[in-house]
Amino acid sequence: MNDVRATRDRLRANLNLYVLTDRQLARGRGESEVVEAAIAGGATAIQLRWKTGSMREALIVGRELKQICARSGVLFVVNDRIDLALALDADGVHLGDEDLPLPEARKIVGERMLIGYSPPTLAEAIEAERLGADYLGIGPVYGTSTKADAGAAVGIERIAAVSRAVSIPIVGIGGITAANAAPVVLAGAAGVAVISSIVAADDVREAARQLRDALGFAETHSV
Amino acid sequence: MTPRGIPRFHLISDRRLCDLDRLPDVAARAVIGKVDAIHLRERDVAAGKLLEVARALRAAIGDAELFVNDRVDIALLSGADGVQLGETSISVSDARALAGDRLLIGRSVHDADGARRAYIDGADFVIAGHVYETASKAGQPGRGLEFITAIARVCPIPIIAVGGITRENTTDVVGAGAHGIAVVSGILRADNPESAALGYADVL
Repeated sequence: MNDVRATRDRLRANLNLYVLTDRQLARGRGESEVVEAAIAGGATAIQLRWKTGSMREALIVGRELKQICARSGVLFVVNDRIDLALALDADGVHLGDEDLPLPEARKIVGERMLIGYSPPTLAEAIEAERLGADYLGIGPVYGTSTKADAGAAVGIERIAAVSRAVSIPIVGIGGITAANAAPVVLAGAAGVAVISSIVAADDVREAARQLRDALGFAETHSV
Repeated sequence: MTPRGIPRFHLISDRRLCDLDRLPDVAARAVIGKVDAIHLRERDVAAGKLLEVARALRAAIGDAELFVNDRVDIALLSGADGVQLGETSISVSDARALAGDRLLIGRSVHDADGARRAYIDGADFVIAGHVYETASKAGQPGRGLEFITAIARVCPIPIIAVGGITRENTTDVVGAGAHGIAVVSGILRADNPESAALGYADVL
């Protein structure tokens, strides 16, 4: 069983480069292959997104990812399904506003697991912190084509506003690449979450490395 | 294990036949007609909405048992009596590890091998189908009564027969070794779910 307190202490650092899996975008590569390469390039957190398809397969893939992440000290989070997250002994579960409500999720996972949440508005970001979210995903920062339901871009302004309003770490998500990642952390995010710019890259490891470089550059130039 | 008995008369939801807002009311009427288990089985509905519907069902169906398909987390949060697992769900043993004895675990099976495995893995009952041809699996012939007989030979836990079950064939299905039946369109398509259910309950 995890102790979530130790995880919380290093959460900001662990949220620096957060990679979400996406089988459709992976160009035939398996989740494990993509995740291994992303971690080799500097990914600090992995989220297993398994929106449709067999849970049986999700468990098999998830157990591989959990092992890879644990070996590298990388955070391992499961999207939406708390039962899957528990079965995999993941470090956390990530919820959107149509998923199980935060307080309900906390009832099941207790202090055993981190809970991340994607609030659609600033007000909901503040409310989510009050309800016990451990970190927030804020976006879409830029336009994105990966998540059809993501809505219109909220911009760097939202990152700045949420990071002023809450004390838990936040990550920016949506349309983020090595070329536009720096402003997200300069605006106060602990890091960025990406899908296509890493998962769909020709060279996953190199794409992750370039993002880490961009984030590192931003950090050394922020006050 | 829990001392709860396994219900004999199951109604399975299908939002193509009865939308989720109407379901708690229809389920309550089916329970008046002696249905004693309701299954919430809806794919591709967001978890927040599913939890809401599961809780509305829990409140609407009194002492009848509630089963949530596939999702152990929603079953636990909604106060359901059990979870129903399919071929693509997590395994019975994984579900048991998560739920302990807080949930009954049903497993949907399509052959005798699967039924035997479900029993060995610790399922509390199996739903076996489809016995007869049914509109929800159009074009696939039913597996027939022999299918139930074959499962009963290798699987000592209760067998709930599903697929094209009518008031007329219920006696045959039970005679072949089924503990009970599960119905979808026979009740959800009926003008009066209560009397449709009673029709089955009389022969069951």
